[in-house]
Amino acid sequence: MPKIEEKIDRFSFTERATHWLSALSFLYAAFTGLALWSPRLFWLASVFGGGETVRGWHPWGGIFFALVLGFMFRNWARQMRIDADDRIWLRQAHRYAVHDETGLPEAGRFNAGQKILFWVQSVNTILLLSSGVFLWFPERMPRSFRLAAILIHPSAAVVSIGAIIVHIYMGTAAVPEAFRGMIQGWVRPGWAASHHPKWYREIFKR
Amino acid sequence: MGKTHTVAKLIDTTTCIGCKACEVACQEWNDQEFTVGGAGGSYQTMPDLAHNFWNLIKFHEEERDGKMSWLMAKYQCMHCFDPGCLRACPAPGAIVVLDNGIVDFNHQNCIGCGYCITGCPFDVPRLSPKTNKVYKCTLCSDRTAVGLEPACIKACPTNCLSFGRREDLLDRAESRAEQLRSTGVQQAGVYNPPGVGGTNVIYVLAHADRPESYGLPRDPVIPWTVWLWKGPLKWLGNAVLLGGILGTFFHYLRYGPRRYQDAKD
Repeated sequence: MPKIEEKIDRFSFTERATHWLSALSFLYAAFTGLALWSPRLFWLASVFGGGETVRGWHPWGGIFFALVLGFMFRNWARQMRIDADDRIWLRQAHRYAVHDETGLPEAGRFNAGQKILFWVQSVNTILLLSSGVFLWFPERMPRSFRLAAILIHPSAAVVSIGAIIVHIYMGTAAVPEAFRGMIQGWVRPGWAASHHPKWYREIFKR
Repeated sequence: MGKTHTVAKLIDTTTCIGCKACEVACQEWNDQEFTVGGAGGSYQTMPDLAHNFWNLIKFHEEERDGKMSWLMAKYQCMHCFDPGCLRACPAPGAIVVLDNGIVDFNHQNCIGCGYCITGCPFDVPRLSPKTNKVYKCTLCSDRTAVGLEPACIKACPTNCLSFGRREDLLDRAESRAEQLRSTGVQQAGVYNPPGVGGTNVIYVLAHADRPESYGLPRDPVIPWTVWLWKGPLKWLGNAVLLGGILGTFFHYLRYGPRRYQDAKD
């Protein structure tokens, strides 16, 4: 059995770099987007260089995010497939939330919650990108599309940001040591065995 | 100082001769850099309003019952009571409603997002590619502030345009429509669309039963998606975001972190 001091590689450099590029561009697009969401949140614009700057750069931030997410999708989509165990897990996710996990299926490298986040963000990125184009060039786009886009864009953004709030909580406070896995790239064997048992066994089978 | 009265512009299309003096006066007063657009096959100066052309007479030719008629209607910002542009605008102070009812754009606060273009039921605001800001008729707020009438009204040779207190002009519009009806113009009436709470630009139309013949929308309203966006969706969104932050915080207080040492056995 591995010793407690050992380190297990959790995320490669490429995975971490992709994750953090997407995180930074997401936060930029989210905060600048919130500045344009309501006059009461417009003060956020001054944090990011003023209203005109925000209007000019928010779309580019979004495009950069979409590109990074596309790369992430290519790397992770296969590992994010939701299997039979995940479906059982998802039906009982509320029990995971209150730390009562008797009978919950074991998680692989990604648990079902992480997989759901991945798919939610993937779908939302497509929605945000396609609706955002219509808001970017208001005078060159048909009005009916713009009228749809002003509903689709913020709706998708709210779901995305809501999901990210939970994700940030899970990755920091709720699951200690998960953050180090995404920063330094390694976790301890006990952590892996507890949070991702199926993944842990795969590693030590070799 | 007395109470500020709501001002309005009355356009009596039945006495408009299409001379375009109002267009010239508007361009001159607002010091617009004008490039001739032309609207092929029509007397119209431009195909449509532009960021540097805020006041356009639309020339509509129509043939009905073997008779040609030429419907002219000056087109510009309608200065709505409930402005769709203002509802959609995210930048505080970029769109303001003055005490006298004028809907004005403050360009130092405008960020050029163009949401007002989507919110406007009359398709009036235009984005300048040069300044990346949005422009439209100001009802000459810089003239009316010092007691002058708007430039277009000053220039009109037939008195088809008039400016004054809104209630006075509404009375005048109604009596003019009545007069027209009594002389046989049966469908004459006033255009003051209630869907946007009324407008501070009021028309007398010979064919008030079909304003679209003049290029005016029949029943303009703020689009329902704009209402949904700035109303329920905003509150729902705020609830989700705030709920997410509070929910995760209180989850931590109640259940704490998932420690692997605990979960091991």
